[in-house]
Amino acid sequence: MADSENLENMVQELRRGMLVLAVLSQLSRQQYGYALLKLLADRGMQIDQGTLYPLLRRLEVQGLLQSNWNVEAGRPRRYYVISSEGKKLLSRLKNEWGSMVTAMDGMLK
Amino acid sequence: MTLIELYAAEVGKRLPLRGRGDIEAELRSTLEDMLEDRSQKAGRPADEAMTLDLLREYGPPDKVAATYHPNQYLIGPRLFPFFVKVLKIVLTVLVIVLAVTLGIQLARQPAGPEFAKAVVSGLLGILGGAVQAFGNVALVFAILERVLPASEFKLDEEQQTWDPASLRQAEEPAAVKPWEPIAGIVFAAAAMIIFNGYADLVGVHFLKDGAWTSIPVLTEAFFRWLPYINILWALQIALNVVLLRQGRWQAATRWFSIALDAAGVVIAYFLLAGPPIVSLSAEALVASGLSGPAAAATVNTAVQLGVRVVIAIVMLVQGIDIVKEVIKLILRRR
Repeated sequence: MADSENLENMVQELRRGMLVLAVLSQLSRQQYGYALLKLLADRGMQIDQGTLYPLLRRLEVQGLLQSNWNVEAGRPRRYYVISSEGKKLLSRLKNEWGSMVTAMDGMLK
Repeated sequence: MTLIELYAAEVGKRLPLRGRGDIEAELRSTLEDMLEDRSQKAGRPADEAMTLDLLREYGPPDKVAATYHPNQYLIGPRLFPFFVKVLKIVLTVLVIVLAVTLGIQLARQPAGPEFAKAVVSGLLGILGGAVQAFGNVALVFAILERVLPASEFKLDEEQQTWDPASLRQAEEPAAVKPWEPIAGIVFAAAAMIIFNGYADLVGVHFLKDGAWTSIPVLTEAFFRWLPYINILWALQIALNVVLLRQGRWQAATRWFSIALDAAGVVIAYFLLAGPPIVSLSAEALVASGLSGPAAAATVNTAVQLGVRVVIAIVMLVQGIDIVKEVIKLILRRR
């Protein structure tokens, strides 16, 4: 019981570390929150809504995302897209990620 | 209003005004998207039961609102170290002031059950004052946390200029500086010699007709306790010799020191509660020509009161010290 709980916590920690990279990487085209949630899930990254929406707002406050409201099929939706600042950061994050994956692969062999 | 609108409004109530409308609108839109998804999967139009299921799964409004401001603390990490520093200073000053005030009150208190009552109520007063001060300081910092920008507190500057070389200068908590036990030995030995061999020296000295004359002040009550005080001084010397040899505090020496301090407090209590241990007799003062009969009585009362105040303060400070040391030792064991 304690083992599975520990495992779950650790997996969550790992995911939390990757969230920003995952979200930024999927916002080169504008998406609204729920669509992004499904897109990430389809690509194997399940994120809780309670985590995604506050994260989107935080990234916007940091200037890494831009958002605007659009009305689509009579429903107002907030669309997010990566900003130029976000693109620069994403490029550096990708490099960091590549180094980490290489390092971890080496360690886990 | 629809259930989704009511739900979003409930979440909104728990959010700061700034950005609330935006979050509510986004939440409504998301929930409607989710409901539509469910309706398509179920192959039937969304109804109230489906909406209720969705909202139940999405979670209570409190929980959802909390995700938008995860750091709900009274005093945040940027201010907390500063808060602790200020609190330590305030509490130290407050406890000292209250302890001195209590000491003065106790010195005026006659011996008996009323005295013990006054000690207990005085200590409770100190505790109450400390709790109140804690609350006030916490309140001030909680307000600062919300009104001051982070740039106002540059505590990390200290960390940036930190030099690892300073580690060598840092004092090892268990280390004993050699002068401390030496001073302790000299003090205890001098006290033993003076109070046992030259008790007459403890008094008022004055020049009369070209010759030094003295009026001893220690009373019979003091000498009744002197053997016990001698034992304490002797044990104090023994402890300091051990500390000098070992060069550091160990659990045994710490407990022994606490026991000696506690014995000192007990003896101080009896000295305080019993008959006066000093007395400047009016007759001796008048005979010395230092004062008239009326002034002599006042001087005597003042001296006795002064000694009682000193004993009461020493007792309190020592008592607080003992409690602190015991707590430290117990925590260190864990």
